[in-house]
Parts: sequence; C-alpha cells; structure tokens
Amino acid sequence: MDDIFSLKKLFLEESQSVTSISELQQLRIRYLGKKGLVTSKLKTLSSISPELRPEFGKAVNEVKSFIDDDLKKIEDRLKEEEHKKRILSETIDITLPGKFVSFGREHPINKVLYEIVNIFLSMGFEVEEGPEVELDYYNFEALNIPKDHPARDMQDTFYISDDVILRTHTSPVQIRVMEKRNPPLKVIAPGKVYRCDADISHTPMFHQVEGFMVDTDIAFSDLKGVLELFIHSFFSVETPVRFRPSYFPFTEPSAEIDIGCNFCSGKGCRVCKNTGWLEILGAGMIHPKVFEMVGYDTELYTGFAFGMGVERLTMLKYSIDDIRLFFENDIRFLRQF
Amino acid sequence: MRVPFEWLKEFVDISATPEEVADTLTMIGLEVEAIESVMGDPVLVVNVTPNRPDCLSILGIAREVSAAFTIPLKIPPYEIKGETPLSDFSIEILNPELCNRYTGRLIKDVTISESPEWIKRRLEKCGIRAINNVVDITNYMLLEFGHPLHAFDADTLKNKKIKVAIAGKNNSIVTLDGVERNLPRDALLIWDNVSPIAIAGIMGGSETEVVYTTKDIFLESAYFEPFSIRRTSKKSSLISESSYRFERGTDIEFLENALNRAALMIKEIAGGTLYEIIDAYPVKYVSNPVEIRYEKINRILGTNLSPAEIREIMRRLGISTEDKEDVFIVYPPAHRRDIQTDSDVSEEVARIYGYNKIPARNPRSPLSSGQLNKKIMNVHSVREAMRKEGFTEIINYSFMSPTSLDTIEIPENDRRRNTIAIKNPLRQEESLLRTTLTPALIENFTYNLDRGIKDIRVFEISKAFENIQRELPLEELRLGGLLYSDKTPSLWRDDVHGFFITKGALESVFGELRINEYSFVPCSEPFLHKGQSSDIYVSGSHIGYLGILAPGVVERLNLKKQKPEVVLFDLNLDLLLALIPDSIKFVQIPRYPCVERDIALVVDENIAASEIKKIIRTFPSELIEEVTIFDFYKGKNIQKGKKSIAFNIIYRSKSRTLTDDEIADIHDSLVNYVIEKTGGEMRK
Repeated sequence: MDDIFSLKKLFLEESQSVTSISELQQLRIRYLGKKGLVTSKLKTLSSISPELRPEFGKAVNEVKSFIDDDLKKIEDRLKEEEHKKRILSETIDITLPGKFVSFGREHPINKVLYEIVNIFLSMGFEVEEGPEVELDYYNFEALNIPKDHPARDMQDTFYISDDVILRTHTSPVQIRVMEKRNPPLKVIAPGKVYRCDADISHTPMFHQVEGFMVDTDIAFSDLKGVLELFIHSFFSVETPVRFRPSYFPFTEPSAEIDIGCNFCSGKGCRVCKNTGWLEILGAGMIHPKVFEMVGYDTELYTGFAFGMGVERLTMLKYSIDDIRLFFENDIRFLRQF
Repeated sequence: MRVPFEWLKEFVDISATPEEVADTLTMIGLEVEAIESVMGDPVLVVNVTPNRPDCLSILGIAREVSAAFTIPLKIPPYEIKGETPLSDFSIEILNPELCNRYTGRLIKDVTISESPEWIKRRLEKCGIRAINNVVDITNYMLLEFGHPLHAFDADTLKNKKIKVAIAGKNNSIVTLDGVERNLPRDALLIWDNVSPIAIAGIMGGSETEVVYTTKDIFLESAYFEPFSIRRTSKKSSLISESSYRFERGTDIEFLENALNRAALMIKEIAGGTLYEIIDAYPVKYVSNPVEIRYEKINRILGTNLSPAEIREIMRRLGISTEDKEDVFIVYPPAHRRDIQTDSDVSEEVARIYGYNKIPARNPRSPLSSGQLNKKIMNVHSVREAMRKEGFTEIINYSFMSPTSLDTIEIPENDRRRNTIAIKNPLRQEESLLRTTLTPALIENFTYNLDRGIKDIRVFEISKAFENIQRELPLEELRLGGLLYSDKTPSLWRDDVHGFFITKGALESVFGELRINEYSFVPCSEPFLHKGQSSDIYVSGSHIGYLGILAPGVVERLNLKKQKPEVVLFDLNLDLLLALIPDSIKFVQIPRYPCVERDIALVVDENIAASEIKKIIRTFPSELIEEVTIFDFYKGKNIQKGKKSIAFNIIYRSKSRTLTDDEIADIHDSLVNYVIEKTGGEMRK
C-alpha cells in the first residue's frame, strides 16, 4: 500500500516540472498509459490476497483519479498560459484606422428631391414624368399661356424651333397626365427644367417638383391643407406658413406660399430681404381653361396644382448661398451631403 | 411699379404707415418688394403681375388700398368745363381690330419749358427722366392714371390728319431715341397724311417730337390691341413704359379722362388753348357680365361666405353686381378685363377676404396608395448600388459644346452625332443637347484633378437626347461614371486595377437588378485604350462601354499629372432596365453537400478568361454547379507570353451525396478536356 502512496508523491514531484503540453502528454503516458506506473499497479491486483483486494483496488483507483484530475488541471493551466502567450504575440495596434469602403454620396438636389417625393408618396400621391424637350403647346398654350402673352416674359425660354422648346417648368406633365387619365388624380412630377438665365441665383438648368390633385370636391382649403402638411414635414411643425395671392396663367385663384425665414427667425435679414418671409412655392386652383384644354367637365371637377424649385429648397435647407455649386460637381462640395 | 407714398395719399386718405400698407398690399396679391427712400420720401416698389395692368398706376394701387382698408377713393379732377373750340384735325382708323379707340386734342400756343419741381420730383421717384413740361405731363399721367399718352408737334403733321394703320411693306421710322427702325409688316403705326409718325403704343417718331420751339401740340390717348403691341415690341426689341402697359391691357373707357386731365395740366403749366376732343371709337367696349352661383365660390374656396359678404367684397373693389337669389351677376369694369370666369371672381373674393383666413383642411378624396412606379424604383436601386460601391452622384447640365464629340473622336455616322441644337444658347459651349454623358464626365475629371483631388469616383443618371427626325427627340436615360485614383501609397494595400474596381461596381448594379446575363467584350470606342476597354452586352443587347481613357485623349487634356489612369463608363439605362427579369423566382436550397476542386492552368495569354470559363461550362457533366476564377498570375516563373489562371469548380448532385472517387474521375477528365481545348497545361 505504501507503494501506492509513494507513487502519488512521485507524481506530484514530477508534475512540478511540466512546462508544456507535450511534456504533460509524456507524464500521462508514464502514469496512466497502457504500461504506465498506475496501470501496472492495477495489474498486480490478482496477486493480492482476496481480503485485501477491495482496499487495494480502491486505493489505486483513488490515486488514478487524483492523477487524472491533476493532469487535467495542469493541462488547463498550460493551455491558458499558451493562449496568453499567443495573444501577447498577436496583439495589433487597434488605433490604426480601419479599412472601409467609403460610400458615395447622393447629390444634394436628388437627396432633397427624393425627400419631397417621399412626403407626397406618404399622402397617397403617385409619380409621373414627362419629356424635358417639350412642345410649346404643352409648356405654354395648354396651360393658358398663348403666344404673344406677357406671361411668357415670366420665363426665359430656350428654343429648339418655333414649336419645340426645353420645358421651362414641370407643369406640362399636368396636361400630359390629364389628357391620358380621368380624375381622381393625385400626382407629383419631379424633373429637370430649363431657363435661359445664369447668375448667382439662376442656372440654365434646375429641378422642380410639380404636383396636382383633381377630383369632384377639391377646394382652395385642400390646397392649403396639403401644402401646410408638406411644409411642416419638410421643415418643422413650428415653421410659420403664409399664403398670399399671386398670378399664374394656369391657376385661378393663384397663390405664393412663404415660410418664416429660417435664417433670422422672421426678424428680417439679407436672405429674406428684411421681410421675415421666404417664398418657396407657387400654387393655385387649376384654371378652368386648362381643364377645357384636356376635355374635363369644369362644372364637375376642381383641382389644385403647385410647383416648387428643388434648388431653392436645398439652398434653404443647407444654407447654400450660390446655386452654381450644384452643377460644378466639386467632390469637396458633394461629399458633404 | 414704383409708388411714392405721398402721391398715393392724395388718392386715399390713409393713416397707416408705409410698412403697414406694404404688408397689406402684399397680402392681397400686390407684392411690395421693397420700401425705398427717395429724396426723403418712402417709395413702395410693387411687383405687379401680368394679369393686373390696372395696377400699373397710382390710381390702380389706390383702388386696391381703398378696397383693402375700406376707405373711399379720391380721384383728382379731370373734367374740362365749358365750351372748347373745334379743331380741323381728323382721325382715321384703318385697322380698328388693332385700335379700338383713338382720341386726341389739339392744344395751341403752349410754352414749352422745364417742368415745375413737384412734377420733376415725382417722375424722378418713379424712375422717369424729366424732358420738358408737355412730355413730362404725358409721363405724369402714365404714372398717375396708368394710361400712356403721346404728344406730337401739331405743326409737323401733314394735312392735319392722324391715321392709324399697319406698316405694310418696307417702311421705316426714326424713333425718339434717334434710331432708324425697319418696321415689321404687321406693326401698327400712327401716320399723318403721308408718313409714319409713331410706332403705335411703343415709341414716337423724332420728326414730330415736341421740342422747345414747339407751339401747337396734338395729344393722343388711344387703346391698342395688346397682342399687336407685344408682337411689334418683341420683333423690334423695343420696350417702353408705354408698350409695357399697352401689351398688358389699358382701360378703353377711362382713357379720355387721362387725355382731359393731361390737357388741363398742360393748360395750367404750359398755357395754351384747348380744342374739343376728337374721339374715334369704332369698336365699343362691351362689359361681359359673369353669372356665378354663390355656392360655386364657396366650393372653389372651401369657405362658407354668405351672399352679403361676397357682394360686399365686390363693392369694396368698385365692381358692380346684381343679386338674383342663388346667383349673382358681376359686371367687370373696363380696367378689369382679367375678370372673365367664376374662378376669377373667386380669386377676388379670396384675396380681399384674406387667403390666411381660408381654413386648411385635408382633402376628402378617396384613399390611394402612393407609390413609385417600377422604373423610378429601379433607378433608385441603381443609384444606391453605385453609392455603396463608393461612387458619388453628380449632375451635369444637359448641354454640350459642338466640339465635344470631335474631342473624343466620335465618327460621323455614329448615332451620337444626331444632335439637337438650341436656337438661343447662353454660350456656344452649351449650344447642343448632349447625346452622351462622356464629355461632361471628362470635364468633371479635369475640374477635380486641377483642384488636387486624388480620388474621384462619380456617377450620373441623366438623359441624353438624340435627334430622330421626329417632332421631339428621343430621350434616353443613361448611367455614366468615372473613376480615378491617384496611386499614392496607402495604409492598407489595395492595388486592384481601376478597370476591375469599376467593372465590379457595374456588376454590383447588375446583381442588384437581378441581371445575370451579361458579358464584357473588346471595345471599339475611339476614345478608349484599345487594350483596356470593353463593350457591355446584357442579354445580347449592347448597352454601353467601360474602359480606360486612351493615352492620346488624355494627352490632349494638358494635365499636370502624368499618365493618369481614368476609367469611364456610359450605359443606356433605359435599355438595361428593360432587361430586368420579370420577377424573383425562389429556388430550393441544395439538400446535399458539394465537392470542391481546383484547376490551375498555364495558357497562352491571348486566351480570355471568359473563354476558358465557357469551355469548362461546355464539359458534359450535370454535376458542375459553379465555376469561379480565383487566381490570376503573369510574370516570374511563368513563361513569357503565357499566363496562369486558376478555377474553383463546385460539383453537386440534386439527388445524392457525391463521393470523392466519383468526383476524382470526373475532375480528371475535365482537366484533360480543358487542356485539350485550350492547348494549355497544368501549372506545376
């Protein structure tokens, strides 16, 4: 029996010097292998007198499981040391910058244009488009702007021929849609428009969003409701809004819509020309003559239409002071949005 | 229209401040853009819209102020009392359709001199230069009553005759500004018995001008047809205070009052004898009454105004009405020819009632689902895919220079040569509509490179315009873009050739659109590098190109940077979007595991990778699921003229688990097959 205890003592001594998994493996074989010290002890069991056998067996097994446990503990300790070493050697400088794909940016005009479109989509409007090179008929005549009408001075037009022009607004889409479809209609038409004009606040090409709604019971009140909702969701619910009478040949009554100047909070500054208000939208009830042009019953249907300049809204939103920046395509400008 | 506040106060006895008046005018549709101070007096600068020519005068603005503030209007005296002698002048209107009315008065023995200070001051406040008393008084009346008048030197008029007729062939006149003008055939003119003496409603002639030696004058006050005046003014590029009012429409009834008040003022200031008015009025003004249901007004506005309220607003505006229970009849005065329909009346009611008092409400229209159409949604997906690939969106003008296509050597018979020209471009460089996005992209590159930008990745989705000999051009949505990256050392090495970065981006776009059938084949664009460019085909259709800008073209750009590698692409997006498969179809996830094997080949460098891939694909085995290229190498250890290329093959069966042995056989025969077909060998 003493043998067994000295075996345990021997193991404890020898296990002290183990420093690696492979040494540990050796040690395991030396004690617990097929021909190991503990295993051989067990094999001597048959030579022991039967009355001592249980006690002897028990003692050997205890030593065996002790060694087994201890080996596991050593193994755990060694593995942990090994991981620690590996981690230490694999340490990276986490302060170096990451490698990333730098996403491209949306053009600010399209960013705002989609924002506008989305607000109207949420109100149940649908999107229609029309050609940028347009017939004089759709751009002017069908919109109650005959040739030789002073209202033509309101828009400087690029001409391709006497009858073909670059559209000066997105309003011709109104006519094209109404020619094809019958009310009820709730449509917006975003797109590029062109005017023969270039300075700090004008570019020969810019973007508009046209919108219109036609049904049997649409009033100026609805126009106010829809546009106030739009303005409050595009700017903020606190933004002051005012409607004042204006003139467009294709609407009657016509209105221009101002918002309280967001640069001076309505106190008056250079941007709002000291009025405290900024004009952002033109609108009105669709003129009966326009309905006549597309063959709608003017007694049955009423409707409103509105139009807004996307560049202007973008400039207000981001405090941009020169419209030409939008089309210079300087990366340093575009990366800001 | 410039409105001196003190002048306005002569017409309306108002106690409000200029600011209050300006605010009120703005809110009834006469936007006051500024209040200027001229010679210590406030002047309102009013933006008068083209439908309200009646407001191009102090009287007109005063009428609005009177309506808005509900205070009476005072009009200065214009009645000539007592008998005046008949003159021996006569008026003949040959084109009454263009001149509905022409009145005149002879005034004899006037003394032409400088105007009194008070007249000069008022003209100056309104931005009109003083000339002499008679001319100044005509201008004064133009401002005060809004009716343009003209004074002729009566002694220069041959046979004491005034004729109103169009120009006809080959006529010219020297106008007051000293310019000899050839007159359009349809221009309406004022003649004496022999020759033209004025372009009607636009400008007088210099021969009949009132000067300091003038003794007798003939004063004109007439109504000219707006369209005619505008046409002549446009054709002869001559715009005057007069033409501005006539082309918008003047008051045919009130014009004699302007004539009379001017005559009275001339008599008072320049002396002389007034002669009896001569009035040729062949086409009488007929007021077109508008019959309206009260209910219609409320229906248009969304208001609940009573008949009395509505009629009261009309009364304030000086518009007479007649009440007939459910309807009322509006009789628009001659100065309000813009009131023709119930919509026009509604606007009058609304603007005086106050736009801001009209309630805002939500439309009672049926619910509808607002949504983008498929095309716009797909365009949006393309934008998002490009953006995620690192490309920033740009927008260029739709114009191009006539030399743009030469610069990139587009052949004469190419469809991009079917251009559309703008008749009145702002600049020659912007005189064509672009047929391709490419020239603008190259400009975007040089613009940013010049500004020291080292990484330029941009894309644009815009229309190109092709002349197809129809009424309107073909408008084609295109996707163009550019990649340039300075080869400066960077922290994390990334030395992929720009062509492949861009190709990858386009493949992402195709993937986003679920387009799987596409190919890149050598390209013949003259402006691209022959060895580094490709045409792109989707489902057999040519949709555009991708490639490196040719060294020759780059050289001509005169850049500081040596040999920059610029990748360009320009695709027909309309066509690409039309090739999107109809819908996504679900495919079962494979049930059995796959087996992967590689082939590394050394082949002649002229054999395209896509060719070898195609060859692998033709190998007769249903078990090949996917073939991908995972390695490519040229250089050390590889014989010159050869390249090494490695493929990964995925084998899979739909019905069972494949065994290694079975695949070993198939793979061996595949390798032999590929070697045989390509003439290559296995890489050692």
